[in-house]
Amino acid sequence: MPIRSSSSAAYIQNSSTSTNGVPSTRPTSLTIHPSALFSILDHYLRRTDAQHRVIGTLLGTRTDSTVDVKSAFAVLHSETDEQVAVDMDYHRAMYDLCTRVRPNETIVGWYSTGSDLNTYSALIQNFYSQETAPNQAVHVALDTGTEEEKSAGVKAYVSSPVGIFPKPENCVFVPIPCELRFHEAERSGLDLLLSPTPSSNQTDLDVLASSLTDVQNMLNRVLAYVQSVLRGEVVGDKAVGRYLMDVLGTGVEEDGGWTAGLQDTLMVTYLANLVRSQAEVSARLALTTAA
Amino acid sequence: MAAPSMAAALAASLPAPQAAPTPAAPTYEAIPASMSKAIDIEAEIPLTCVQLDGIVITKILKHSREAFSTTAHGLLLGLDLDGILEVSNSFALPNHHNDDDEKATKSIARYQQSMLRSLKEVQGDDNVVGFYQATSLGAFFNQSLIDTQAIHQDRLRHGGVVIVHDISQTARGNASFRAFKLTPAFMDAYRRANFSTAGLISHRLTFASILEEIPLRVRTNALLSSYLNTLAIPSTSTFSDAHPGVATTSALPPSYSVLDIGNVGLTKNLEQVAEAIDNYRTEEGNVAYLSRQIAREKLRAETYVAKRKEENARRVAQGLNALPEEDVSRLFRIPPEPSRLESMLLLGQVDAYAKSLESIAGAGLVKMYAAKASSGV
Repeated sequence: MPIRSSSSAAYIQNSSTSTNGVPSTRPTSLTIHPSALFSILDHYLRRTDAQHRVIGTLLGTRTDSTVDVKSAFAVLHSETDEQVAVDMDYHRAMYDLCTRVRPNETIVGWYSTGSDLNTYSALIQNFYSQETAPNQAVHVALDTGTEEEKSAGVKAYVSSPVGIFPKPENCVFVPIPCELRFHEAERSGLDLLLSPTPSSNQTDLDVLASSLTDVQNMLNRVLAYVQSVLRGEVVGDKAVGRYLMDVLGTGVEEDGGWTAGLQDTLMVTYLANLVRSQAEVSARLALTTAA
Repeated sequence: MAAPSMAAALAASLPAPQAAPTPAAPTYEAIPASMSKAIDIEAEIPLTCVQLDGIVITKILKHSREAFSTTAHGLLLGLDLDGILEVSNSFALPNHHNDDDEKATKSIARYQQSMLRSLKEVQGDDNVVGFYQATSLGAFFNQSLIDTQAIHQDRLRHGGVVIVHDISQTARGNASFRAFKLTPAFMDAYRRANFSTAGLISHRLTFASILEEIPLRVRTNALLSSYLNTLAIPSTSTFSDAHPGVATTSALPPSYSVLDIGNVGLTKNLEQVAEAIDNYRTEEGNVAYLSRQIAREKLRAETYVAKRKEENARRVAQGLNALPEEDVSRLFRIPPEPSRLESMLLLGQVDAYAKSLESIAGAGLVKMYAAKASSGV
């Protein structure tokens, strides 16, 4: 699932043989973890007034044709009309710190907010390609959606030199598809952030109740649609009808296993209650004196 | 053990509490009353709430999941404002289990210093307000957490908070972050290092009164929430005859994993409960053994003193000098009362495991009845 509604990414296929027999290692797709995305947004919010866009380094892992971006950190840089400067010492120092916590993450590329690709981007891309040698550096351009006529989104590029004599200032950026990837276990954290009034003290039953309400609303909508089709108000879409029959027609055929499962669950609940009250009594008993 | 060394590392590296910044010209203006709530130099406004930024949540989630074999811990950065502690960033601390204590302490302190300096250069927050720890199945009472929190509470403004993140509960579908501080009663007992039975009674300490919970709130700044909502917008496919199951896609589809039936992790939880109870019994056995030893020594000392007195009385009756009363404490070394902190913590673990077991089983019960109702209709 691309991160922009209309993606102009080119889906590259690595050629299996090249002239010297070594398989090429150009990354052909990119996945980003939400924490990297949020770090970039946070850095953009904290930029000084003089900076129009901010850049930083991307860390992650790479497989044969995919690059996984796991985290990002900001890098000091200054950009004027004549020159651009990137603080390499800061970049190296931060990279050393990050590898101590996560030893399997390497530099995979760089990011910038604002999606203009100009000469400075080419120069910075060249610098980062030297850092990620022998692999290629990827460039992620993040649109924060705060400028007019630009909607929020993420675009990823790889570069290749262009021109008769390859110079560092010239390169062509090839867009590659990128998507948001995170582990299933982190899904509920993102749900928490997406909900309009996040409160972190919900019990399991609260979450269950809200999911069930959602499902109930969806079922009501489907029911209203089906009833209007039956009454003849709306022409039914055959594909939708068949899909609904497939999904809702299957039933659950468990019989004997259910009571056994119920008994087990009840016993576990009782045991847990017993252990808790025992622990409480024991704690109070410890407060009595021996004498 | 890494536990006391990490605590010592933090003690060595935390900045001393800073004095109020004085202006260059020596004219001290009084803080206007309207701003007195925001500018709180003496940390007088008590904390009522902890507010986590969205970025902290994703970072903690990522770190906890990646380091599930070792405990994930790290520091929180932020600012307290008007009674609300706003946590705006966090970073992870490396684990040192194999190094010896000296090197581990220094390297963690150096890591922290360089991280704070680097963050300051890119205009990030560099004010440490607490630390976070990931746990599984709800049991987070251990010695290192208490040591670290006690040090923080002495050194930081408002005392630091501990944010505990439960990995297993998040995997079940309910992202759980809780903020705690040590209660004043416990801090008092900790400072005096007096955890004998008498000490516990005087402070009325049970495992439930070690930590007090602070309400927690999650905040996403406007840019982040607009970005997330843009990502979650479902986009319809351009094919007019696409299968309805895949016609609309989005980068963040809604998930209903909480509705899955099947008690995942219940057996693991039961094992943990049983193991924790075993540990508690061992610890209590040790305490009982030490208490019996103390009682035996005391008895011997008392009988000695009694015999001495009797002998002295006899001698005085016979007219000889009384033998000197020897210092009993030098003859019989009475070992000190054992510290009951460890057994209290273990009891807290048992209770926490049982509580998460109860909540899993309770939710499972509701789901089973729901499934039966839907199929029996």
